[in-house]
Amino acid sequence: MPSIDIAGVTKRYGTDTALEGLDLTVERGEIYGFLGPNGAGKSTTINLVLDFIRPTSGEVRVFDLDAQANALAIRKRTGILPEGVEPYDRLTGRQHVAFAIESKGADDDPDDLIERVGLSADAADKKAGGYSKGMTQRLMLATALVGEPDLLILDEPSTGLDPNGARRMREIIREENDRGATVFFSSHVLGQVEAVCDRIGILRDGHLIAEDTIDGLRDAMPDQTRLRVTLDRVPDDSTAALEAVESIDGVSSVTPEGRTLVVACTDRAKTTVLHTIEEYDVTVEDFTTDESSLEDLFVAYTSDATPAEVAQ
Amino acid sequence: MSAIIVAKKDFRDAVRSRVLLALTGLFALFTVGGAFLASRLSALFEEGGAESTIDLILALQTPASFLVPIIALFVGYGAIAGERESGSLQFMLGLPHRRQDVVLGKVLGRTGVVAVSILIGFTVGLLGLFAFVGSVSLVDYVAFTLVTVLFGFVYVCLGVGLSAMTRSTTRAAVGAVGLVVLLWFAWSVLAQALLFVIEGTIIPETIPGWYIVMNSVTPDAAYGSAITAVLGAGQFTASSAYETQGLIDGGVPIVAKPWFGFVLLALWALVPLALGLWRFDRVDL
Repeated sequence: MPSIDIAGVTKRYGTDTALEGLDLTVERGEIYGFLGPNGAGKSTTINLVLDFIRPTSGEVRVFDLDAQANALAIRKRTGILPEGVEPYDRLTGRQHVAFAIESKGADDDPDDLIERVGLSADAADKKAGGYSKGMTQRLMLATALVGEPDLLILDEPSTGLDPNGARRMREIIREENDRGATVFFSSHVLGQVEAVCDRIGILRDGHLIAEDTIDGLRDAMPDQTRLRVTLDRVPDDSTAALEAVESIDGVSSVTPEGRTLVVACTDRAKTTVLHTIEEYDVTVEDFTTDESSLEDLFVAYTSDATPAEVAQ
Repeated sequence: MSAIIVAKKDFRDAVRSRVLLALTGLFALFTVGGAFLASRLSALFEEGGAESTIDLILALQTPASFLVPIIALFVGYGAIAGERESGSLQFMLGLPHRRQDVVLGKVLGRTGVVAVSILIGFTVGLLGLFAFVGSVSLVDYVAFTLVTVLFGFVYVCLGVGLSAMTRSTTRAAVGAVGLVVLLWFAWSVLAQALLFVIEGTIIPETIPGWYIVMNSVTPDAAYGSAITAVLGAGQFTASSAYETQGLIDGGVPIVAKPWFGFVLLALWALVPLALGLWRFDRVDL
């Protein structure tokens, strides 16, 4: 029995289509990373699972229950960290956790949860209105962990967290998964999911364009590379130069860093990239290539590849 | 049960509002001022101070009928829309609460907040009455206070109902202000205009029943009717002025009877609440 089963779901807002015929299955006990650039439809998908919004067509099932008809039963077994959620300004962090415990009829100790997410006891006694983004994320994670949920849904959980906080988040995700919880979490940064996820789905413009393990995704684009080109100077018409490089077939992203251009592209596009740059009256002083990072892979998937190419 | 948990949390959150504190202070100022004024006025006209608590309550009803709606609408209008705007509703609804539970919990929690505000205002008013007048019928005063809390509940339902129908606090606020303008000003002007159109004059010799009905159906008039029903004294209903002079065509309509005030209050509370619940249950957050 899958934990989440989304079948043929379309969600429209007026004439805008947020999701189009989405099929997505999260198996019980796995950690599923839900990736996509901002605006791809990740939060829409999560909101459908949580019954915050209703599908235009298609079916959403959680624990094999209809997401809308059984929203209450589902939420009793689910821990949620929504994106961009605001705490209640005038309640303390501890009161938030206590409210979640009472709401779920759980018997957790608020202080244990607060300590687990790395929020200090001092901070927990302060009103949440004064919390930083990172403290709010920790607090909301603490409330999501209440009652040992069977399913954890985390929407952009690393938002506002410092590296320590992000690491703590990953540790908790692993611990919860070891306990038996299914974890479904979204991010627009692949680096955050590669370390913990069993499987990854990439969403773009309301379509799931790839779904595989990290290794599987890597294999699907074996010739992806990152080219660092150092020039003697910035070209006079740098905008045109950037556009020219971007438009080369096989190039998925171009990032200028002073006199250096970082180009994510396929192996065979490398020569074309160098030639194109030199057309702008600059000299290539040096260039290096390194193995594709997953970040480049992700960019390649979300900016360049069409669903058909990726599906192969 | 879920609604109670929401209500408790909501009460704790909303009762800490500074604006609420200011409004409560203003309310207390008005009740104590009303008590003072009542004692002075009655001292001028009747030797030896106010004759009955009823007269004093009349003096307190006026500030209450203006300030309780303002406090209740202020406390209510952001209840749902505000949480939708800020995103805290996603935290609330991410926990096992139905949307209805959230709306009902909000109504209960915020009614509690308004009740605290009213109790503070009326306690201060009561102290004022003891200070200026000396003796007050506690039973009548308590009954008056309870009806006023009911009145506050009605406006909380109106406010929360409005709040549940829209995703923007601005629109909810506009709705709340519009409601006040309609109920306090436009409604009586409309009644007068209709009277002129139908009767040809704004001071007819006998008052038609429909005009009395129209003047009795607003929540504020219903509040007056309910006070009259509870205290067993006639001066708080919309029709009392005409009634005592026997000017009403065909006697007092049922809608203008004191006990009917409770029916009207119930309608004013439940209809907007039901509409808000119905709408909120169907929308995308």
